[in-house]
Amino acid sequence: MRTRAAVSAALASAGILIAGWQSGVHVADTGSSVASAAAGTTGATGSSGSSGTSSSSGTSDSTASSGASGAGTTGASAKAVGTYPGSVVQTRFGSVQVQITVQAGKITDVTALQLTDAERKSVQISNRAAPLLRDEVLQAQSADVQTISGATVTSDAYLNSLQAALDAANL
Amino acid sequence: MQPTSELGGSALQARTFGSMGTVISLTVPAGAVPGTAGGEGGLDAASAAVERVFAGLDETFSLYRPDSEASRLARGELSLRDSSAAMRDRYAEALSWRLRTEGAFSPERPDGVLDLSGLIKGYAIGQAGEALRSRRITDWCLNAGGDVLVMGSPVPGSGTAWAAGVVDPMDRSALLAAYELGGPGTRCALATSGSAERGDHIWAAGAGSRTAGSSGAGFAQVSVAAADIVTADVLATAIVAGGTAMLHRATDGWEIDVLAVRRNGELLATPGFRA
Repeated sequence: MRTRAAVSAALASAGILIAGWQSGVHVADTGSSVASAAAGTTGATGSSGSSGTSSSSGTSDSTASSGASGAGTTGASAKAVGTYPGSVVQTRFGSVQVQITVQAGKITDVTALQLTDAERKSVQISNRAAPLLRDEVLQAQSADVQTISGATVTSDAYLNSLQAALDAANL
Repeated sequence: MQPTSELGGSALQARTFGSMGTVISLTVPAGAVPGTAGGEGGLDAASAAVERVFAGLDETFSLYRPDSEASRLARGELSLRDSSAAMRDRYAEALSWRLRTEGAFSPERPDGVLDLSGLIKGYAIGQAGEALRSRRITDWCLNAGGDVLVMGSPVPGSGTAWAAGVVDPMDRSALLAAYELGGPGTRCALATSGSAERGDHIWAAGAGSRTAGSSGAGFAQVSVAAADIVTADVLATAIVAGGTAMLHRATDGWEIDVLAVRRNGELLATPGFRA
């Protein structure tokens, strides 16, 4: 009997979870680790995200908050356990679907189920700067470029700069 | 007819002038400026419009001019409350950037003097770009002391991107990398900050008077490509000041590409700079 009660409690809380999820309830802004994990997973731009990604991070946030609050309001006795897939949302990276894993009423994991670009290829979502060798960056000779970026040159330094050579050629 | 650099059978024309302690270059495809049929009066007029934008902002914001509004603020002769709307707007924008970069970018010098120089050049480039747009010039490249904003293409109608080179901080006569600006891409601005140059107004965040360059693990040079020049310029400054932690915050929080050169010459780059 206790097992049955536990299972039904879990199902009930799962139902609340999913209901909260599907209604898209956005509770409070969760600064929780789940939110940051979701941001990392989807490559969303975090707290200062642009409008293009707010939908994805919003979904992640509401997932997290509805999950947390759902488990919380069902009471301490309910121990929601399981994995729940979210809906597919469109982001600047393509379609994204996340899945949460709940244990003891807490979200313990967020994973990306679907992450593709328009051509249905998986895409690199991380734009992190990574170490690389000099011959791995896009190479150029000054003859191949129309303008040159560098740390601010003073008027005096300009005279000997590559940009000055380019400008002189086009004056 | 001056020989001009060849680019797919097309040619470029450039005009330069000095402002804000550096040199500003306006480059356009030959014949891309209305009114240039047969002559170059249109380009000269466009360049003059750009120059007026820079001169106007420099007059208000330069700390090298004793009579500027910024200098009067710095000396305490004027309070922000009594300053111009333009001054307060830029100050508010700078404070917003300080919040968003968690202090890595700051409009105040370690001695407390308000210094908007880190923002004004980028702002001026953006405003100059607007001046060009309003003249219906749609293919141009503006370079102000190494910070670049483009629109359109060096070959009008072709969709070809502008090719920007990034100076090698270890050898300023050589290029470290290239980056495609404008054209089909959304990133039209490329700004580079260094930790050794005068006029970069970079201070290590929260480190008092210690400059960013004194920490061994810091960056010698950081280039940021973004959709707009102020974002590119501010974030390049912030990353030089804030180091690796700020670099990762910037790439996580903004749609940018970054090429960062450590003091020991090692490179860090987002995929956009990768060959």
